[in-house]
Amino acid sequence: MALDSNRAKMPYLNKCSLIKQGAEARVYRGIFLGKPTIIKERFPKLYRHAVLDEKLTHRRTVQEVRSILRCRKAGISTPVVYFVDYTSHCIFLEDLVGSITVRDHIASSQESGQDPVCLSSLAEEMGKILAKMHDEDVVHGDLTTSNMLLRQGSEDAKPDLVLIDFGLSFTSALPEDKGVDLYVLEKAFLSTHPNTEQLFQRLLKSYTHASKKAPAVIKKLDEVRLRGRKRSMVG
Amino acid sequence: MQLTSTLELYPDYSVTQLLFKDVKNAAELRKNAMEGLVQGALINPSMIVDPFQILVASNKAIHLQKTGKMKTRSLFSEIIYNLSPTNNISEAFKRFGISDDDGAVYVVLVYPKEEAADISSIVSRVKGQQIPADMISTLTDAAKIKKLYKVSPQEETNGSLLDAVICRMAIKDVS
Repeated sequence: MALDSNRAKMPYLNKCSLIKQGAEARVYRGIFLGKPTIIKERFPKLYRHAVLDEKLTHRRTVQEVRSILRCRKAGISTPVVYFVDYTSHCIFLEDLVGSITVRDHIASSQESGQDPVCLSSLAEEMGKILAKMHDEDVVHGDLTTSNMLLRQGSEDAKPDLVLIDFGLSFTSALPEDKGVDLYVLEKAFLSTHPNTEQLFQRLLKSYTHASKKAPAVIKKLDEVRLRGRKRSMVG
Repeated sequence: MQLTSTLELYPDYSVTQLLFKDVKNAAELRKNAMEGLVQGALINPSMIVDPFQILVASNKAIHLQKTGKMKTRSLFSEIIYNLSPTNNISEAFKRFGISDDDGAVYVVLVYPKEEAADISSIVSRVKGQQIPADMISTLTDAAKIKKLYKVSPQEETNGSLLDAVICRMAIKDVS
């Protein structure tokens, strides 16, 4: 029933194709103002009190677009935000047509036994971009190789690394938060891509080189590795 | 010559964009618009990078009108306001609306699809030469736009000026 009333609110989404459904939002692909577009819809959660739900959903939508703008201003590639609808909590984003996830890229490179030099330069690029992002005090909150895309620009140029899904992002200057960000990536990276310990070390090395604040973050990362992502063990 | 588009979110509406250069009666046009004789938004073309920018502003204006959240008094003034990176209404008009001595005018019409737009009346009112709307880039003042939207050189490494402008327009209410 809730789904129906929600659908009626945004008849446009019925014409788009649903590409992903998660606990927080649905992601559609469609055309907006003539351009290929990704629409992220944070649907109402019936298990929450309506007022609380509205507040949380609104705040997360705002947080997501703010982080995207902050990253873009710092020179980090992210999808362009075309339009935000705060009544149905939809974000309209640029669709990076023809891009592939870093996850797929690493997997296919490993499978085809391509020379590892190519992947290590990618890992270095990732480290550099994450350092830039953390220097802007943006903590992504959900770093995985699936949330990074490779966009092929002009033919011979190096593909551009684009960060996506800032749904869990927030701003923080604390090395603790940045350390956890890297820890989440490390866990995701090593579990999706077997035998990449060296590759991830490369990433961390380039992160350390690129950021002045890196030593404090890496120190926290070492702490977090020992205790896990949550600081408090109570409760 | 003019560019007419439909909006996917509001399929009942059409948006038509007309571009004029060598305009001699900007002051008169501005007066006409304020009196409601011209049912459209008159925009300073030097602040526009691409027709897409106008579509984003128009779509948002209709959205805000439908949800009762407009910041200005009419749909057309809301389009001009939406183009501006700041929340200052009079500044938005000053920068993005036309001034009495402007030599070029960008006209944006928004109307229900079943009604034909009164394009000929606009064309006859403007004393100037109509040129294709997608030639807007020849009139764009990129330096002025970069300054007003505060686009840094490092931001330009990862996208076009249009991308930077669109993002700021879309996010300005919460940034």
